[in-house]
Amino acid sequence: MRTSTRSLTALLAVVAISAAAAGCTVSEDKDKATAGAGSIKKIDALAGKSIRVGSKEFDEQLLLGQIAIVALEATGAKPVDKTNITGSDNVRKSLTGNAIDLYWEYTGTGWVSYLKQTKQIADPVGLYDAVKKADEPNGITWWARSPANDTYAIVASSSAAQKTGVKTISDYAALAKKNPAQAATCMGPEFKARDDGFPGVEKTYGFKLPTAQTHLLNDSIVYPTVGKGATCSFGSVASTDGRVAAQKLVILEDDKHFFPVYNPAITIRASVAKQYPQLEQVFSSIATKLDSKTLTTLNEKVSVGGEDAKKVAKDWLKANGYVS
Amino acid sequence: MTAAPTTTVDPQLGRRVGGADSALGRLRARWKGLVIRPIVLIVVLVVLWLSVHGRQLDSIEARSLNRHEITTELMDHIKLSLASTVLTIAIAVPLGILLNRRGARFIKPIGLGLGNIGQAVPSIGLIVLLALWIGDGFRTALIALVVYSTLPVLRNTIVGLESVDPTLIEAARGMGMSRRAVLGRIELPLAVPVILAGIRTALVLTVASAVLATFIGAGGLGGGLVVGLGQNRPILSVTFGVMVAALALLADWLGLIAEEVLRPRGM
Repeated sequence: MRTSTRSLTALLAVVAISAAAAGCTVSEDKDKATAGAGSIKKIDALAGKSIRVGSKEFDEQLLLGQIAIVALEATGAKPVDKTNITGSDNVRKSLTGNAIDLYWEYTGTGWVSYLKQTKQIADPVGLYDAVKKADEPNGITWWARSPANDTYAIVASSSAAQKTGVKTISDYAALAKKNPAQAATCMGPEFKARDDGFPGVEKTYGFKLPTAQTHLLNDSIVYPTVGKGATCSFGSVASTDGRVAAQKLVILEDDKHFFPVYNPAITIRASVAKQYPQLEQVFSSIATKLDSKTLTTLNEKVSVGGEDAKKVAKDWLKANGYVS
Repeated sequence: MTAAPTTTVDPQLGRRVGGADSALGRLRARWKGLVIRPIVLIVVLVVLWLSVHGRQLDSIEARSLNRHEITTELMDHIKLSLASTVLTIAIAVPLGILLNRRGARFIKPIGLGLGNIGQAVPSIGLIVLLALWIGDGFRTALIALVVYSTLPVLRNTIVGLESVDPTLIEAARGMGMSRRAVLGRIELPLAVPVILAGIRTALVLTVASAVLATFIGAGGLGGGLVVGLGQNRPILSVTFGVMVAALALLADWLGLIAEEVLRPRGM
């Protein structure tokens, strides 16, 4: 059995990566924020109280989760790291089922996926207010809307964008109708399954991509695959993902405004929110600083630069004077 | 284990003597034991169908739980598992034989070592890394599955051949049989049960691991499973999970049948 050195290296790399992953634990004290040293002040009611912070499994969520954890440390609380839960619905269930206390959710996801609303609200603030109100009966409080919009987006590889001249999703839909072979699209399982994902795009833009041109991949593989442009010329991405720029992907304009606004905001169990109302101000002041550009830059550090999410979170909070 | 097998051919009849000792005869003798598993599997699948059928499905569930989607995923899964098993056997059995020849004894540990690496690598890491390296799709999934399931077949081929009684080989050589004839007529037939046990292990591994093919655009029953887990739709995870398990048990059962048919007589 002859194995080229390259594949052996690859195999060894996998072994090394898995070994490293196995050895990853929550980094204690080493980079723990000192309570009250920055603009986030100590909150006496929270001293030593454990708050369980969750997140979904992708880099932006890991980063947002760590931002919340570092901020909580600065208030003197003892946050418990429960981040990296796979699948939006599972994180939400953890929150409603009292397995975690808070996590960053997106307004659009809350509206469409959990509250099962079909009415489109284009105004970000209006959507946030509507979600906040509709989620109250479920015992969930929404706080601290960030202006960042991590919307789903359809992207084209830079070569496909040049070759086909597709700029909007309407152009893409026309291409899919006229020449499906050229419109091969890679997408993640969540985007393929959700109503605010591909099924909704097809319905709104009035086309049906043949199964042969629909490639289901894990989200993390969508980016490099579309970047290479071999299997797919188009793909589903999260607009603030650091890999969009890294792979030179071109975001197509959602000209029919199908995708709702996805502003990250803190969702917290109502009982915890009532107990520690001072936390709202802490998260609000952080959220307003997190616009799309900032979030994308931070994401890029984690996804492309390979930096540790907690470190990136802490550096950013430090740079903005929240902690020191 | 009974005494060494003797090939009794009745000169008058020109056929093997001993009905219960021929492959079909043996199957007939054991059919009651062999028929239990498919019956249980059919019952489980019918119960599953009855409990899922007629449920109110939401849009996410309906997209995975329909005849077209299930058939597509099932066919992809079967194709991938079959191709992978055939390739694994085609690679690992000859390799095991080669590594067991006198001249190659010193590289045996290397061969087994490579097989060990293949199995030690987390399959999901392997499949994703391969996809990033050589692209996505069926071919990549196939390579990953073969790398992953080569070891049990390779190891069992080597162990099976090693466990053949050396006195038998010497006797055969003494009768003037060539090395090749000894391999084909003595060693391999005697090693068949052990080799087949390895192939059965590989089959079950392959069917189970083929779930990961969905991550790299190669389809399979992992599709419904991943949506079920990610979107918190237990009806999907249970349905597709049970289907994968049933398929693995069915593959294992086919291996059992093959064992019954191919086992040398008298063992």
